[in-house]
Amino acid sequence: MKIRIIFLIIIFVFNNLLASEKSLDINQIYKNLRCLVCQGQSISDSNSDFAQTIKLVVKDLIKEGKSENEIYSFMADKYGDWIVYKPQFSKQNFILWIFPYIVLVGGALIIFHFIRRKKG
Amino acid sequence: MLSNLGNSLLFLNAIFSFIIIYFSSKSIKSVGETIPSKIFKISLIQTSFVMSCFFTLVAAFIISDFSLVNVYENSHSEKPLFYKIAGTWGSHEGSLMLWIIILTIFSFLFLIKNKNHPKNYRLYTLIFQNIIILGFLFFILFNSNPFATVSPVPKEGLGLNPILQDPALVIHPPLLYIGFVGSSIYFSAAMASLVTDYSEKQFAYSIKNWVLVSWGFQSLGILIGSIWAYYELGWGGFWFWDPVENASLLPWFAMTALFHSVIVLEKRNQLYFWVITLCLMTFILSVTGTFLVRSGILNSVHTFASDPSRGVFILIFLSLMIFSSIYLLFKKYKTSNSFINSNSKETFVLINNWFMLFYLLTVLIGTLYPIITDALTNNKISVGPPFYNAVIFPVVAVFLFFMAIGPNTKWIKNKFNDIKNFLFFLASALVINFLIVFFFKSYTVISNLIIISSLFLIISTMFDLVKCFKNSNFDLARITSHLSFGFLVLFIGLNHNFSIEKDFNLKVGETISFDNYEIKLKRLSLKDFSNYKAVIGNLEVKNMKLGEVNILSPEIRIYDNPSTLTYEAAIKTNLIKDYYLTMSNIDRSEFYNIKFQKKPMMIWIWISVIMLSLGGFLRVFKNANNN
Repeated sequence: MKIRIIFLIIIFVFNNLLASEKSLDINQIYKNLRCLVCQGQSISDSNSDFAQTIKLVVKDLIKEGKSENEIYSFMADKYGDWIVYKPQFSKQNFILWIFPYIVLVGGALIIFHFIRRKKG
Repeated sequence: MLSNLGNSLLFLNAIFSFIIIYFSSKSIKSVGETIPSKIFKISLIQTSFVMSCFFTLVAAFIISDFSLVNVYENSHSEKPLFYKIAGTWGSHEGSLMLWIIILTIFSFLFLIKNKNHPKNYRLYTLIFQNIIILGFLFFILFNSNPFATVSPVPKEGLGLNPILQDPALVIHPPLLYIGFVGSSIYFSAAMASLVTDYSEKQFAYSIKNWVLVSWGFQSLGILIGSIWAYYELGWGGFWFWDPVENASLLPWFAMTALFHSVIVLEKRNQLYFWVITLCLMTFILSVTGTFLVRSGILNSVHTFASDPSRGVFILIFLSLMIFSSIYLLFKKYKTSNSFINSNSKETFVLINNWFMLFYLLTVLIGTLYPIITDALTNNKISVGPPFYNAVIFPVVAVFLFFMAIGPNTKWIKNKFNDIKNFLFFLASALVINFLIVFFFKSYTVISNLIIISSLFLIISTMFDLVKCFKNSNFDLARITSHLSFGFLVLFIGLNHNFSIEKDFNLKVGETISFDNYEIKLKRLSLKDFSNYKAVIGNLEVKNMKLGEVNILSPEIRIYDNPSTLTYEAAIKTNLIKDYYLTMSNIDRSEFYNIKFQKKPMMIWIWISVIMLSLGGFLRVFKNANNN
C-alpha cells in the first residue's frame, strides 16, 4: 500500500514539474480590463475606439517594463477601480476575497459538527 | 382592439386567481378528502385564458399592430415572421407574459398530478402559487403592461435589436424560464408543507420530479445562452461571469443542492428543514436575479431598457416572499434527532450541498459586491472572470473527487473497501494528465489539478457504468450526469489551456503568419439582405502542420431598423476544434482588425451539458415509471 501511495506522489510531482507559469500574455491583460464605453465587455472583446486606445497604452506600458499588476494599478489610478475585472486585495475588497473561504471553512465545520453530534 | 382583449384577459385572470384562493381556503376548512371539481375547472379555465392572453400578444406582433407600445418598440412590419413571433418575449413586458404562463401551467399540473397527496397540502400549494401569480399579474397590469397603447398610432415600428434577431431568441428564454419560474411550484409546495405539517418523506416524493424538470430545463437554457453568446457576441468565449449569467447560475446551484438532498429526505427521512430551505431559496434567488436584471442596477450585456419603478415593485414582492418564508420556517422549525454516520451516502450528499452553497455564495457576493461598494463608498468596482477563476477553480478540483467517491458509498453506514480501486483510478488519471502535458503543452498547477480530478471522476464513473451493466442494477441517470459533468470540466480545462488567440490588422490581399498558421484576407464583398447589408470577408486559414485549408467568412452587418452595426463571427467547427474569426473595420484606414482564435473541444463542451441535463430527465422518466 505504502509503495503505491509513494508511486502516486511521484507521478503527481512529475505532472507539476512540467507545469509552467504562463509568461506575460498580453491577451490575458486585455481580458482583465473592462471596456468603459461598452456593455459588459473587456477591451479584448470590444471593437470600440476606447478599447483600441487602451490596448496601445498597455503595449507601451509593457515596453516600459511594467509588470501585469503594475499595469492594473496604473489603469485603476487613471480610470478608477471599475476598469479592472480582478478587484485588488484592499481594505475595501477584503470581505469580497475572504467571504468565500469563510463559507468553505464554515460549511466544513457545520458538517463535521452535525455528523459527530449525532453519533453521541 | 387587441389591447382591450389582452387587458380584459389579464384582468379576468386576476379574478380567477382570487376565486381559486377563495374556494381553496373554503375547501380547506371543510371535512372530506376530495378537492371540489370546481377548483379543477377554474384552474383549467385560468390556464387556457393565460394562454389566450399570450397568443393575443403574439397575434399583435404577427399583424404588426403598432397601436401597442410594446409592438411599436420591438417590432417592424418588414421583419421576417419568425422574428416577429419571437420578438413577443424579446422585451421586458413580453417576457413577463412567459412568466405568467409558466406559473399558471405549473400550478395546474401540480394540482392534477399529485392525486395521492392530502387535500390540504395540495390546496395550500395552489393558494401560495396563486398569490405569486397575482403578484406578477399586478406587476404586468399596473407597471409593465404589454398591451399599453400609443396614440396616435405610429405607421412603423422601431424594430427589434439586431442582436436579438436570432433563432436562439426562440428557445433560450422559454427554456430558462421553465427552469427558474418552474421553481415557484416547489416554493409554494414547501410553504404548504410547512403550514400543513405534511409528512416529510411524502413531501420529498411529491416535489422531486418538479425539481429535476426545472433543473434540466435550467441547464439547457443556460447552455443555449452560452452558445448564443459564443457565436453572436464575437469574443469567442462562452462564459463571462456577467451578472446576468450569474443570475441564472444561482438558482441552478440551489436546484442542484436540492435534488441531491431530496433523495436523503425520501430515503432516510432526514434533512427536512434543509430541503425546505433550499426549495424556498431557489425561487427567491430566481426572483432576485430578475430584480437585478430588470431594475437596471447591473451593467451587463442583457440590458432591457430599464426603469427604476420596476425594480421597486419586484423588490417589494421579493421582500414579502423572503419575510413570509423566513417567518414560517422559524415558526415551524424543530430540531430533529436523526443519526448520520460520517462515512455514508448522507454525508456525501451534505458534502455536495456544502460545495454548491460555496459556489452559490461566492457567485452571489461577486455579483452583489460592486452594488454594495457603490452604495456605501461611491466607488464602483468590477468583479469579473479573474476573481471567479481564482476563487472557484481550485475548489472544483476537490469537489470532483468527492463527486466520484460519493455515489459508491451506501446509506446509513459504509465500510471503505473500495480504496484500492480509487488508488488505481487516481494513478490512471495522473498518467493520462502526464501524457497530455508531455505530448502537447504544459500548464499551471491549478490546471493540472482540475484535469486530474476530472479524469478521476470520469474513470471512476465509467467503472461504475461497467459494474452496473454486470449487475443490471442501473442508475443510468446519475452515471450519465456525473460522467458528463466530469467531461464538461475536462473539456473546459483543455479548451482553456490549448486555445490560441491572435489579434492583428490586415489589408485586402495581405497575409500574416504565426505559429503554424498562415492567414490571408483574400477579398471583401458587399451583399444586400432583406433586413440588413453586409460586408463579407473571405479569409483563408492555412494550418501548415496539418496542411489543411479553411475559408472563413466573417461579416460586418449594417441593420436598417433600428440602424446598428454588428460583427458576425465566422466559425468552422469540427470534432477537435473550432476556428473562430471576427473582422472589424478601422476608421479612416483600409486595414481591417482581425481576431483569430483556435478553440479546442468546443463542440464537446456543448454535448457534455446536453448529456448532463439528459441525466436529469432520465431520472424523471424512471421515477414516473416506478409510480
